[in-house]
Amino acid sequence: MRRTVGVAAASAATVMLVAACGGGGPQSGGDQKLTGNKIVLGVLNDQSGAYSELSGKNSVKAVEMAVADFRAKYGDRAVTTDISVETADHQNKPDIANTKAAEMYDRKGVDLILDVPTSSAAEKVADVAKEKQKLYFNIGAATTTLTGAKCNKYTFHYAYDTYMLANGTGRSTTEQGAKNWYVLYPNYQFGQDMEKSFSAAIAAAGGKVIGKDAAPFPNTTGDYSTFLLKAPTLNPKPDVLGTMQAGAELVNVVKQYNEFKLRDKGVGLAVGLMFLTDIHSLTPAALAGTTYTDAWYWNFDARNREFADRFQSETGTRPTFAHAANYSAATQYLEAVQAAGTDDADTIVTGLEGKTVEDVFLRNGKIRAEDHRVVHDAYLAQVKPQSEVTEPWDYVKVLKTIPAAEAFRAPSSECKL
Amino acid sequence: MTGFLQNTFNGLVSGAFYALLALGLAVIFGMLRVVNFAHGAFYMLGAFGAYVLLTEAGVPFWAALVIMPLGLAVVGMALERAFIHRLTRLDPLYNFLLTFGLTLILQDLVKLRYGVQSSPYQTPSALAGSVDFGVFDFPTYRVFILGFAVAVCVGVWWLLTNTRIGMVVRASTERPELTQAFGINVGRWVTPVFGFGIGLAGLAGVLAAPMRAVNPLMGADLIIVVFAVVVIGGLGSIFGSVAAGFGIGLVQAWGEAYLSDFPIVSQTIVFVVMAVVLLWRPAGLFGREEAPA
Amino acid sequence: MTSTVDTPADAARPTPPSGLVTVARAPGWVRYALLAVGLLTALWLPNGLYPAVAVDILCWALFAVAVDLLLGFTGLMSFGHAAFWGTSAYVTGLVAIHLGLPFPVAVLAGALTAAALAVPIGYLAVKRTGIYFAMVTLAFAQLVYYVANEWRSVTRGENGLQGVPRELFGLDLRDDYYFYYAILPIVLLGLAAAWRIVHSPFGRVLVGIRDNPARARALGYPVHRYKLTAFVLSGFIAGLGGGLFAVGHRFVSLDVLHWTTSGKAVIVVVLGGIGTLWGGVLGAAIVVRLEDWLSFSGFEAIGLVTGGIFVLVVLLFRRGIWGSVAALVTRWWAARRR
Repeated sequence: MRRTVGVAAASAATVMLVAACGGGGPQSGGDQKLTGNKIVLGVLNDQSGAYSELSGKNSVKAVEMAVADFRAKYGDRAVTTDISVETADHQNKPDIANTKAAEMYDRKGVDLILDVPTSSAAEKVADVAKEKQKLYFNIGAATTTLTGAKCNKYTFHYAYDTYMLANGTGRSTTEQGAKNWYVLYPNYQFGQDMEKSFSAAIAAAGGKVIGKDAAPFPNTTGDYSTFLLKAPTLNPKPDVLGTMQAGAELVNVVKQYNEFKLRDKGVGLAVGLMFLTDIHSLTPAALAGTTYTDAWYWNFDARNREFADRFQSETGTRPTFAHAANYSAATQYLEAVQAAGTDDADTIVTGLEGKTVEDVFLRNGKIRAEDHRVVHDAYLAQVKPQSEVTEPWDYVKVLKTIPAAEAFRAPSSECKL
Repeated sequence: MTGFLQNTFNGLVSGAFYALLALGLAVIFGMLRVVNFAHGAFYMLGAFGAYVLLTEAGVPFWAALVIMPLGLAVVGMALERAFIHRLTRLDPLYNFLLTFGLTLILQDLVKLRYGVQSSPYQTPSALAGSVDFGVFDFPTYRVFILGFAVAVCVGVWWLLTNTRIGMVVRASTERPELTQAFGINVGRWVTPVFGFGIGLAGLAGVLAAPMRAVNPLMGADLIIVVFAVVVIGGLGSIFGSVAAGFGIGLVQAWGEAYLSDFPIVSQTIVFVVMAVVLLWRPAGLFGREEAPA
Repeated sequence: MTSTVDTPADAARPTPPSGLVTVARAPGWVRYALLAVGLLTALWLPNGLYPAVAVDILCWALFAVAVDLLLGFTGLMSFGHAAFWGTSAYVTGLVAIHLGLPFPVAVLAGALTAAALAVPIGYLAVKRTGIYFAMVTLAFAQLVYYVANEWRSVTRGENGLQGVPRELFGLDLRDDYYFYYAILPIVLLGLAAAWRIVHSPFGRVLVGIRDNPARARALGYPVHRYKLTAFVLSGFIAGLGGGLFAVGHRFVSLDVLHWTTSGKAVIVVVLGGIGTLWGGVLGAAIVVRLEDWLSFSGFEAIGLVTGGIFVLVVLLFRRGIWGSVAALVTRWWAARRR
């Protein structure tokens, strides 16, 4: 009711310059199957900050590709032809993410929010989705709270999480003989989660964490030499340095790891979270031999490669796993709407829960009903030596596939849907 | 003991960056009474410039070490003529604000063109190894940075004490009221000195490129620490800025090594030292109390 | 003389252009008309704007007025006011979450804590003036930032403080539209308090200190104590804004303490007009609206736009928007009378 009053007042006062772009909310449709007879996908991510390369604008492109493919597949049979993609930059700030998410659902009529890297922002958007009762597929964030304490009916966690990374890299590396670890992590939520997950995974595989240090975050000076000097002096000497730093900080750690010649001193390198763009930035030479867990790799098989080729013709670059996951998530949502014939969030959730999925990103994929974790095969990857890199962006060989059933943790008791 | 020496060495290396940046800030402040907020942005431009020169023109590190400081010095001089100059007769706060605005612009321009992903920059091959000091070995590149930074500081000191321009700068920095009273025309030196300070920031940036992540925000938080460093050393004191720079580097490295259970110590120690200095000697350790004119 | 360290440049600082004076000189009906327009706009705002954005404008208006109280009326540019805005945001959030008190009480607790924090920081900072003051406040704010970052058990670090409730005697304020009207009285009270401070005898002394500290000292005013009092009051008002911001977003992140937040507050004030008080409100509306619009427009470089506008204002329109308009109106007024 008050909206009507509000709109009347607003139209009376539209002369106000400041409101030039404001006002106007979505109209709720009466008996329409789709709200506003259209589907709106919202990509909310970092388009200017530390994660803008690994996801950012190119994820918007990936979602647009999914829309185009959906149109091509169903043509006239599609539930609607009016599908649009909205996008906003959350600058990795949780408060901006909060406002933008609410605006997307309320003002832009967005049916599904995608991506949202940065754990704190991701958790915030989960709250908004819960409150607005609208769908949210998180791709970019690593925190397991999305399928733990923060889980809710409308939130799905799609691509990866700290458990998957630790379980892959920590366990496999230990099983391959690197028993003694020195763990270096950035002192904030993500880093601490990673450290805990890794320590657990290492212990489970029969390894031991000899030492661990929390590096300042944000690290103003970009200097990690104190920790790197310490590593080889520990007793017993660690077989491997596990670094949980991400993005620019990871770049610093690896640079200095090479500078202090730790590999020559018998300390290998394992990386907690790494994206294709990080390897590109550091050059494969600086990382040769490093193992890490990847949620998807573009040159893994012909199907991935076909997608990567199309992606490259759109964007001029190869996709990271975040790009592929955004494509997949948008596709699966559109398929669910097509199957249900409505974009009603509750109906879609019911349709998705427990569903098994197979697409370019999700191999042996399953949308778990218990906690809305989307499980799928993960990959233990190793950076190739420079001599084996034969084409741009093909920096990695997949050592082994971690089956979907083992790649992710069992549903947490913290999550009550 | 070996560990202590290594950590000390390390602290001096990070101190070298603080010292070079603080030195540039102090020289500019001395001459223009301008606190250059954009100093961190120019440090970033130095590093980025080295990266762009290498990847897009194949210019090696050694050439960049000469080209970037000179190039940025010219940019700095143009900036001084175009903007800073217009505001020097006003409250110095306006130039602080202006350079703050410039920082936002410069950071975003680089961001727009190159993104925020850190850019790779290899250590020059001649400096890739490590130096054996008997009891410990240390990356050659870091030894080089320390030596180079000390040489630059000594060189600047020589310039300040043995040349005419140097004496004018020093006089204007440390005894501004007297310099003016003697009727020395400092105006013609203002632009070159501003350029010189910017050049020093650019030099620090080039030195940082092989060692730290090159990205548009690399100078953003660093500059705040450098502000604290110059407040500790005494903004009006050129020697104080350099000494405080090395000192803070050392204290941070020791804090990180021996209080590693309390990472907060190494992060905040510079600000705590600043608070203590303000209580004890408001003008800074090497600053001179000035009576209000 | 005293231990104050004034550089000659600081001592010779020119009076910032003040628009307030001109408006205050305007005839009564003009002032009342302006007040009426302002109040009506405030009442209408969430109908024309997305309510969450309108809420942000209110919070930032308080923040800007707090900064202007120091910058415009005491001659001290704090580049570290995020320390008070952010501290209050955290305290408000913690009080609201753990004690479940009505949000105005939580905000008051936050603002009082911010004022308490302003005492030691102000005590140290007012020992310096001008540019030193800016750098010292900046550094202390960064210290607070790092402490909050490390004090993870309380602040939840990078993940932020989540789920700050909007409790007010069981009223349903989840909708930002209603929440806007719930906080409007508090914001208006805060703004009125700032106006009262500026126009009190205390405020006149502050302006006297700003314009000529030596004379104020000679007249026997305890300059440091006046500055410190202004600093603490400003910290309190910034704290009000920060506390409301926390409740408004139902969330507190480390960003509230970062130096870029302090910088944004200064941008808002300079854009609106230093020493105009209401210019800060106008600046807040423009900057918040602009950022909201930019982030939806797909243009990545928000800093380029805000930084560019800011540089232009500093170079060409140092009176800011309010100050420039007020100056124009005054000139027109004077010409008409002639």
